[in-house]
Amino acid sequence: MAPVSDGQPTSAIRVLLVEDDAPTRWRLHDALAAPATFAVTTAATLAEARAALGETGPQVLLTDLQLPDGHGVELIRETRQRFPQTEIMVISILGDEESVISAIMVGATGYILKDAFPTDIAATVRDLVAGHSPISASIARFIVRRTQAQPGRSPQPALNTTRLTPREIDILWGIAKGFSYADIAAHLGLSRQTVPGHIKSIYRKLEVNTRGEAVFEALQQGLIKL
Amino acid sequence: MTTEVADEASSTAWDWIYRLSGYVLMQAVIVVICALLLRQSPPEPPARYRLTEAALVDATGERVVGLPHHYPSRFTLNDPPLYHLRFERPAGEADQSWSVFLPRFTNGVEVAVNGAVILDSRRDPEANRPDRNTPQIAAIPAPLLRDGANLLTVRLFVWEPLTGFLDRLYVGPDDDLRPAYNRRTLLFLTLSVVFSSWQAILAVILGIMWLKRRHEPAYGILAAAMAIGTVQAFVSTPPVGQSLYAGLNALFIASAPLESAFVLVFVFLFLGLKLPRHAAAIFIPGLLIVAIGLYGNPHLVRRSYLLLGPPTVGFCLVTTAIVIARTAISRRDIVSLFLGSAVTVVMSCWIHDMLSVLNILSDRRIFIARLSYSALLVAIGAGLTWRFARALNEVDSFATRLVGLVREAEDKLRESFAREEERTRAAALASERTRLMRDLHDGLGGQLVSIVALSERSGRDGAQIGEAARGALRDLRLVIDAMDDIDGDLMLALGSWRERIAAQLRPHGLALDWRALTPEGLPVHPELRPWHVIQILRLLDEAVTNAVKHAGARRITVSLETIAGAEGPGHGRITIEDDGHGFALSPDGEAAASAPKAARGLSNMRKRAASCGARLELASSPAGTRVRLDLPARFPATEQAAR
Repeated sequence: MAPVSDGQPTSAIRVLLVEDDAPTRWRLHDALAAPATFAVTTAATLAEARAALGETGPQVLLTDLQLPDGHGVELIRETRQRFPQTEIMVISILGDEESVISAIMVGATGYILKDAFPTDIAATVRDLVAGHSPISASIARFIVRRTQAQPGRSPQPALNTTRLTPREIDILWGIAKGFSYADIAAHLGLSRQTVPGHIKSIYRKLEVNTRGEAVFEALQQGLIKL
Repeated sequence: MTTEVADEASSTAWDWIYRLSGYVLMQAVIVVICALLLRQSPPEPPARYRLTEAALVDATGERVVGLPHHYPSRFTLNDPPLYHLRFERPAGEADQSWSVFLPRFTNGVEVAVNGAVILDSRRDPEANRPDRNTPQIAAIPAPLLRDGANLLTVRLFVWEPLTGFLDRLYVGPDDDLRPAYNRRTLLFLTLSVVFSSWQAILAVILGIMWLKRRHEPAYGILAAAMAIGTVQAFVSTPPVGQSLYAGLNALFIASAPLESAFVLVFVFLFLGLKLPRHAAAIFIPGLLIVAIGLYGNPHLVRRSYLLLGPPTVGFCLVTTAIVIARTAISRRDIVSLFLGSAVTVVMSCWIHDMLSVLNILSDRRIFIARLSYSALLVAIGAGLTWRFARALNEVDSFATRLVGLVREAEDKLRESFAREEERTRAAALASERTRLMRDLHDGLGGQLVSIVALSERSGRDGAQIGEAARGALRDLRLVIDAMDDIDGDLMLALGSWRERIAAQLRPHGLALDWRALTPEGLPVHPELRPWHVIQILRLLDEAVTNAVKHAGARRITVSLETIAGAEGPGHGRITIEDDGHGFALSPDGEAAASAPKAARGLSNMRKRAASCGARLELASSPAGTRVRLDLPARFPATEQAAR
């Protein structure tokens, strides 16, 4: 992770942007255009993206899931294995749970909407590098509802929520109901600054150990069925 | 600690002694009652017809004896003693028929009046049984009687095992003697036949029970005891030496030791105790007597009986009493207590009989042990039948309970089936939503995003197109969100709405304040349906849009709270306030005509609120606008018409 001071990175954040739809790609690229802050590399296919990963990997990977030559989940998984330090976000059209949760399970820590305003996109990426993983109310809702569901009943993907602590589940409830981090922190007796750390921890706990090939296969099966 | 244990042990010991003495006391009372009852003399005719003095003639010569008289010999069939008695018949009673009544004798008598024999008891099988207390009565043919002194001669036959006995005789008018005779017959013969008949019936019932329930040998044992007793009672025993069935006879003689052994074994089984290892040995004396009876001579049979019979019976009785007493004390149950008392009665009677046989107890030599034993068996049989009936009842109630349980299980199954159906329905809805979402994602969503991207690149002209496409995307997300299964928690739908609104307000530089005034925010509505959610979210969307577009607000505050009701859980309230310049409202609450666009929006909001039973309240002033939405306590199942 890049060193951070006053919320400003000391050097440009290296971003790999993978998106097959050209107008969207341009749009996202434009949103991260500030040259002093971001150094953006773009790719339109899985193959291009693999080539662009290079030896050291980017600081931030933003990827679409539906790519012409494969699925974004594969790219996320590979990147997560090769470059554990890389922060990964999914580019989603609707922010729908199925695709975002799949990405979270292989190592992504959030998503950005394709139609988000450029300032929001830049802010989200900066926050991510600063260690603030974003989470939406609908994703939080999906996760906490899954903590209540009986096993074997839920549709794909098979999200494992057993490692979440009661406090983490409380935080997710707060987010699902639209409360701000400050409200949640006050209600749970936490410091406001610790809430993003909890969210990152939640993401890490939901990640499937991708070295277990069987699990990954199952996940892919689930994705194919989606 | 040690003292405590010791205390406990000693208190247990004291408790045991206390219970033992209670039991013994109770049995002692029973013995006393038995003794008092046995002292009651059996029915007798008026004393004035009684003869109490006789001249006894036997091998040793002639002497005067008083009646009742014990004749010490055990065998007098060949050389029986003769008792000569004299009686007077008053002169005026020639027209009355007279009789001789012999209440008790062992074992046989031949009665002659004035030299003519009128009765030989040996011809009556009942009378040949010493254990039956059989009385005899004989009418004296009128020609034999003389007015004044008459001579009565009684020849006493004795055969083993008992010694001879002759009770007081009665000679008098038949009418005066017969009632006593009849009562004795009823008591000692008929009653014993009745008991034996019961015993026979119970033997059959218990035998069948045992045949069908081999794992309960107690029934079989008791059936065997009863069967032996029945055979003993109904098969007649001729005097010794006159029968071809001497062998069979031996069996009946051995019946008492065999029966008592069976009863002892039964008591062990009935009380659920473990039989001692050599329990079968208790049958040996009885079987030994049978064997001697079959192969030895009659004299030896009687000797062996005297030697083995009473001790065996006594041993069995005492053992039975001890076993039952121990069980009664340790278990404290009514069955053992009842059984123990019954055994005490039988034992008292048996001791009475033994004393009588040994001439220790000088009385009328009335034997009642067998009668009491028969009564005991009948009581046990009745008890077993009662237990059997109770077991049947238990089976019935068990069946009833089982039926109840099955019904309960069925209900549960039906319930869980309904739940399963509900779950399946929810899963189907979820998968439908997923499919729809994927469709929208891949198709419509992608297109709209492309439009947004393209519109931004085409400069100023594209701004409106982009705005419209963003609006369409927002709407798409709203619909998808509303379809999510939120279990009636409107807060969850509002959480996503807040995010969308915040993203929408940010480019306009508007701040969004989000306040939950009560800890839980809004109440949960299990009846909440997606269309309710869509109506409320669109209503809130319009309120925010109005604030942004028409009021020129800088800050929008959304408050959520639960207003406590007079009764019940209360209702939810959503309030949206802005700090814009407001708009003029017509007196009926509608926006003034000067703001036609806002007016349309307001009327739309009213319609939406009405359709889900919510109440909308608008307040606008130059300092800002407040939209207050009061949710119903219960959302309507169908859309309500706008009022």
